[in-house]
Amino acid sequence: MSGASETAALDSPAPRRTFWSAALMPWLLMSPALLIAIAFFGLPILFMGRMSFNAHIDQRFYVPDFTWDNYAAMLTDPTFRNAIWTTARLALISSIATVIIGYAFAMLVWLKPKRWRLAFVALALCPLLISEISIIFGWWMFFPKNGLLSYALVSSGLITDKISLMYTEFAAFVGLTYVTLPFCFFILLSIFDGIDKKVLEASADLGAAPLRTFHEVLLPLTKGGIAAAFAQSFIWAVGTYATPSALGPDTLWTIGYLIQEQMLGKHNWPRAAAFSIVLTVGVAIVMMIIRMLSSKRTALNG
Amino acid sequence: MADTAPPMEPPKLAHTPRARLDATLLRILGLAFTVFIIAYIAIPVVVTLVMSFNEASVIRFPIKAWSFAWYQDFFASPQWVDALKSSVIIALGTTVISTVSGVLAAWAFERFTFPLKSVVYLVIMLPLFMPGVVLGLGVAMAFGNVSIFGYDIYGTRGLVMLAHSLWAMPLVFMLMEATFRTVDHRIVEASYDLGGRPVQTFFEIVLPSVSTGIISSALFAFVISLNEFVMALFLTTRDTQTLPVLMWLSLRSAGTPRLAVASVVLAGAVFVSLALIMVWYVRQLKKT
Amino acid sequence: MADTSALELDRLRRAFGGVVAVDDVSIDVKRGEFVTLLGPSGSGKTSTLRLIGGFEKPDAGAIRINGGRVDHLPAYQRDTATIFQTGALFPHKTVAENVAYGLRMRGVARADIAPRVRQALDIVRLAGFEERYPAQMSGGQKQRVALARSMVVRPAILLFDEPLSALDLSLRLQLRAEIKRLHDEIGFSAIYVTHDQGEAMAMSSRVAVMRSGRIEQIDRPEKVFGEPASEFVYTFIGESCCLKTQMASGAAADADGATIDLRLANGLADGDWRLYVRPSRLQIDRADLDNRLKARLDFTEFLGDVHRYHFKAGRIELFVDHQGAIAHRPGDLVDIGWRSADMVAYR
Repeated sequence: MSGASETAALDSPAPRRTFWSAALMPWLLMSPALLIAIAFFGLPILFMGRMSFNAHIDQRFYVPDFTWDNYAAMLTDPTFRNAIWTTARLALISSIATVIIGYAFAMLVWLKPKRWRLAFVALALCPLLISEISIIFGWWMFFPKNGLLSYALVSSGLITDKISLMYTEFAAFVGLTYVTLPFCFFILLSIFDGIDKKVLEASADLGAAPLRTFHEVLLPLTKGGIAAAFAQSFIWAVGTYATPSALGPDTLWTIGYLIQEQMLGKHNWPRAAAFSIVLTVGVAIVMMIIRMLSSKRTALNG
Repeated sequence: MADTAPPMEPPKLAHTPRARLDATLLRILGLAFTVFIIAYIAIPVVVTLVMSFNEASVIRFPIKAWSFAWYQDFFASPQWVDALKSSVIIALGTTVISTVSGVLAAWAFERFTFPLKSVVYLVIMLPLFMPGVVLGLGVAMAFGNVSIFGYDIYGTRGLVMLAHSLWAMPLVFMLMEATFRTVDHRIVEASYDLGGRPVQTFFEIVLPSVSTGIISSALFAFVISLNEFVMALFLTTRDTQTLPVLMWLSLRSAGTPRLAVASVVLAGAVFVSLALIMVWYVRQLKKT
Repeated sequence: MADTSALELDRLRRAFGGVVAVDDVSIDVKRGEFVTLLGPSGSGKTSTLRLIGGFEKPDAGAIRINGGRVDHLPAYQRDTATIFQTGALFPHKTVAENVAYGLRMRGVARADIAPRVRQALDIVRLAGFEERYPAQMSGGQKQRVALARSMVVRPAILLFDEPLSALDLSLRLQLRAEIKRLHDEIGFSAIYVTHDQGEAMAMSSRVAVMRSGRIEQIDRPEKVFGEPASEFVYTFIGESCCLKTQMASGAAADADGATIDLRLANGLADGDWRLYVRPSRLQIDRADLDNRLKARLDFTEFLGDVHRYHFKAGRIELFVDHQGAIAHRPGDLVDIGWRSADMVAYR
């Protein structure tokens, strides 16, 4: 064997020229994606962060400054305080509605025979594939006095006078829930698909009534999915401002609406930036809570 | 389950009258919910579709006369046709940008290990969870005054494409990361083994085995961009306005059946591309 | 010397984390040789193959193909071709496209590709299957396509990674014979990884028995079977009975210290011993042989060609393969004998 190691020594040492390209390759592949994320998200966030400390004087977009006024205004300005409350309330209620409807819908699709599945999934895809503006407009024609709802109720004899549900919080909820429903549905459907349907038979076999089965078997198995679906709907509902502002009452001012108003209406860039930063931080906090909850869940499941 | 019946007592099976009542009640509830969910999802779609064939110029039920007048009106109006064109151009651009960048990044995540992987993951995914109004505003503020070679970036379709890619690219990345994980790594090794270089292997072996995933995520990117209007609202000028932006602005002033036509056209574009992909997919299935 | 080697592994070493998967492995495969790496799972045989193929990098040592060093080269620059356990055919390419792939990657002229593909498919008896997709073929057919795909590029060395282990028994035997036939006809050089000693014995020019990353013995199959270099090789290849005994001044006892009636032709030194004999070499009622043991018949199994008689002597259990019936019943004390040449002893 000593001869073999001598020839090994005579060989040119194995060069490591592949090392650099192997280390650089992933970064090269990721560079377009990272460029987009950093240049068009990271940079603007930093820019907005700086902007939020500028001053707004004399109808100019902004005046370079360093002031906490824009953040302080959020605590003192009742308009903004109300907007936070309105946004949170709308998002909370519509997320709860979304989760309940989405849960029932997903369970229905899961329980129904396979041949119905494609039709239901296509139905659920509709709100996802249709533009939010089209959805808004659809409900915009349904709720008012001369809309379809009023016409249907009057012509069926249920009511005698035309009614309008337009520009009510109810209309805003209906629209918002419609927009967030598909996300919630698909999250929950994937959770249900992971459950063996035999658990239902097993539970019924052991003598549990349907409601009991639901409470003791299905609910615990889908708890994680419900949390994820709720969080997803909540984040989405917080960020969606066009639907509530178009369908809800004029006083229904969400943060998103205020941002648009400050930016496009009042040309107050620092204020709009400060609002955006608060909204971003809020979304990030909700996301972190989800991550914590989901990692705890996997830890529990081993 | 400490409160279950003692072992010797016969279990109550689903034959008691109570259980039968439960089952009937459940069936009725299920039926009622099915009707509700179909109606809920269908209402805005049906209302829009019906209204687009209205002859009158006000939105009012019942509809007295039917016609294609508003379709003619839509396609005769340069402003609306230009907006549609702008929308399609921006959506196609977004699809290309986000599919290429998302697929490459997902492949890097599947194939390589590198430092800061989880941080990079967060950086790529984070924009997907950001409200459109924040993204639109941020890009508008940061690039509002920027010009390259004396050419203003602000208001260009390219900027809107890149902004839309903030949502579309992470989505493509997420879908493709899951798809790449299903690729049998042995066929990749087999290709290397037979002399296929990494680039050849990627195009000859990897991409064809994930073509369905790529086409689906490209479709999602296209649909997201075509339908988006909050970012576009902040980033477009009169010349580059997209159809959803124009619809939003018109809705604020006055709603006419022209808006219904615009909705139908927009949804039509989505469903046509969906149908094309279905055809492609079925042909792909027949191949194997 | 060097110019007749298809592949040389020189003190190859690879560790994953703290586990040494390949430990100081040296093999020299001559042109046209068929060398099998045989060992239990986790013995490092597949890791060795992956080092040769270029899918892993060695921590130390050298790999030479046709005399040239390749261990710094990526897989696609090495003149090797692997037949994977599952075939790893490209599912979206037809059989012909699969076989042509390596030729295209190596820049073979378009006009030459078609005849070579046809010839390769002829060799594996799949002419006429060119336009099929892998999904439309059986497991055995897929594996033959994989074989054609690797052979068509005429690599310096073919690497087989347990190619038959996913197939059922009859197909396995059939393909085993086919690979053997191809090797005899074409004379390719190959490294074949398996945990099936039958495959190793039937096909190989030489067998390397591996254990915990090391080569225990490398030699012709008859030698490995007949003259195992270590206790591990002896027990891993073929069946064997183990007699655990304690020797004390010529007297034998079992592991518990109970005396047993064991006579050996050549006395062993005092201490604990493990004596091994193949069950086919043990003979019943042969008090005349040099070595013998008195044991009680426990039970009998019928194995087809032979009966297998299970005996006990104290803690020692052994079994004897014997053609035809014997005149003993369970519980009888029987003389079992064997020749000195058929026994090995380890302490």
